[in-house]
Amino acid sequence: MTTRQRIDLLARAYPRLFPRAELLRLLRVQLGHVDALDGWFLRDGVRVRARAPKIIYHICAGNLAVSAWTSLAHGLLLGARNVMKLPGDREDSSTHCEILDFIRGLPAPLRKLVETHRSLDVDLLHRADTVVAFGSDTTMKSLRALIRWNQKFIAHGHAVSLLWLADPNRLTPSQARACAVDVLTYDQLGCLSPQAIYVPPGTDFDALGRKLTRALEAHWRQLKKKPARPLSVAARITEARDMANALGHGVWLPPKNHLDWTLIHDPNPAFQPSPLHGVIYLRQVTETHLPTALAAVVGRISTVGTVGQISSSLQQSFINLGVSRFCAAGRMQFPPLTWHHDGRSSLADLVTWIDSENLT
Amino acid sequence: MPLPHDFAQPAVRRAWIRRLLDPSDEAKWNELAGELFAWQFMHVPAYRRLCLAHGVTPENLASWRDIPAVPQQLFKQALLYAHGSTPTEAIYVTSGTTTGQPGRQHLLSTDIYRAVSVEGARRAGLFSRDIELHFLTPSPREASYSSLSAMFGFWQKAFRQSFPRPRFWVRRGHFEFARLRETLTEQIKARRPIAICGTAFSFVHLIDAWTDLPPLRLPRGSWLLETGGFKGRSREVSKTELYAQLARTFGVRDDAIWNEYGMSELSSQAYARGRNGLHHTPPWARVLVCNPATGREVRVGKQGLIRWIDLANTDSVLALQTLDVAERTARGFRLIGRLPRTEPRGCSLSADDLAARTESSSPTP
Repeated sequence: MTTRQRIDLLARAYPRLFPRAELLRLLRVQLGHVDALDGWFLRDGVRVRARAPKIIYHICAGNLAVSAWTSLAHGLLLGARNVMKLPGDREDSSTHCEILDFIRGLPAPLRKLVETHRSLDVDLLHRADTVVAFGSDTTMKSLRALIRWNQKFIAHGHAVSLLWLADPNRLTPSQARACAVDVLTYDQLGCLSPQAIYVPPGTDFDALGRKLTRALEAHWRQLKKKPARPLSVAARITEARDMANALGHGVWLPPKNHLDWTLIHDPNPAFQPSPLHGVIYLRQVTETHLPTALAAVVGRISTVGTVGQISSSLQQSFINLGVSRFCAAGRMQFPPLTWHHDGRSSLADLVTWIDSENLT
Repeated sequence: MPLPHDFAQPAVRRAWIRRLLDPSDEAKWNELAGELFAWQFMHVPAYRRLCLAHGVTPENLASWRDIPAVPQQLFKQALLYAHGSTPTEAIYVTSGTTTGQPGRQHLLSTDIYRAVSVEGARRAGLFSRDIELHFLTPSPREASYSSLSAMFGFWQKAFRQSFPRPRFWVRRGHFEFARLRETLTEQIKARRPIAICGTAFSFVHLIDAWTDLPPLRLPRGSWLLETGGFKGRSREVSKTELYAQLARTFGVRDDAIWNEYGMSELSSQAYARGRNGLHHTPPWARVLVCNPATGREVRVGKQGLIRWIDLANTDSVLALQTLDVAERTARGFRLIGRLPRTEPRGCSLSADDLAARTESSSPTP
């Protein structure tokens, strides 16, 4: 089966997640040619072709299925055998089932390239050409100890994201709605989910809180599938609310206090992880103090979603803190397929190259 | 509504102790809870803010069940002390094992804590006979920040006529297990009942240290008391495994092993006997097993989070919301354990991870 055939099959099965045009673009951008795996093409005067890994071992995280879907899609595009180590079942996560559903939805020729495991198969892990893993830093550390010296290990450990509002006092309803989309998509569980909204000094927090409150509630009402709130999740949300109230922070809650979003103005600019599940913190910081405020997550910031113009100096400050992606608010959770996850070329990282120089 | 008592006055505190320890009906309990709530609402700003956010004030409080509870975590971020700038007699510090940041319980005086921790143990049935008492903790003098050492110290003083030589077996940060074993061996020969009290992880250390030694056989009437959860510092052990190992190491039955469920942020304790025993609070403290989504008690047989209402906790806050899971039963509660980590195990950074990262200063991969 050629790459183009695999692209067609994948795009036909999941046209919204993996549109054909985007898949073609991904191949062109990251491998230099759509047919790079199937034949030679000329690059800088040298004939080259890409070689796909035979086996990719994917270790899936328990928070979100979308990272596993994307990782698997990359493996399928390359025609590799894909071994998926599934996350365990949890009361507060349906990720396990969503990954299996995705695999079931693949056309048979692609599905044949996938096998799933509930536990880590160390023997198979050793035999894989490449290991792609998502999860906690601890998981990455323990996996690294199992990796052969000549095995590719692509580890996606912890990361956080945040929103930056350049002029919050003039935030429009549609911009507020874009922020709400970023916060509430995937129940805020991924590394692209903002955990804080940073604003510059001079912000009218009452007005901003009202705007965001309206947007969060409106967007939540439109969600077809409301997230589950088992005991453990409800406990963390109510704890965050009670803490904020006791500490005298500004707290905005939904009508009837449902647990699906919570907006808190914490006067401390220092980044603190949110308990997630719709709990978002508003923090004010000057550009000068940004490095101090984000010191705890230096090198861990994936995406900064922005509303309004971001100055080049501010952008440079974020870059210095390790940020690897900027995008407009509302698009944080929907990066293009060519997105450099953790600053890496996700597809290009998986292949090796064969060069054929002038043979005459 | 009359002005609440001034809990800074020694006479008021003595009277409060007398009232706490008296048998109490529901109306009297409600009255005591209302009085203490009014005092703390007035004198603990962070608590007042929380209560106002819940719409509960001393004026509209209908029942002790409606008293808002502070998250246990709040002791780590706010001063919860009802006596302003008046100096404290004791500050007890929590272990901070979960997030690395300790919480602090400030006591104007240890008088009430002393009274209820002694009386609570007595009423639970721990001290019904003469017994040789051993503590696997530092002494209160060596660990003035530890509410557990303080409580054991109170027991030592309160029961010293019955128990001639109670001992603390952690000195300068080290367990003295060899000397403890020598002492136990002598006491076993003399057939004197023995009680050994310590944290779960201190017992784990002890079991590890004595792995290659023959098991002891404590005399009839002996008991063990473990506390502090099962998150061992050397290794984690399930409750079932720990109890089995304790029974084997000391030659006692399962029902001779007690669990004390308390915390530095509280003054009272609940006790359970045996691996599957239900926990019971003393009359001056109550536990509600609540659904965090509604804030209300769950039905009997259902699981929820433990909320304490502790009438002895006069100097900080009487109502504490924990993240400990329990099953509500008709006669007490069954402690399940700490709420499992709820942060996603994926790529999103959690509070615990951040704390761990800050503590270890591990390099960024």
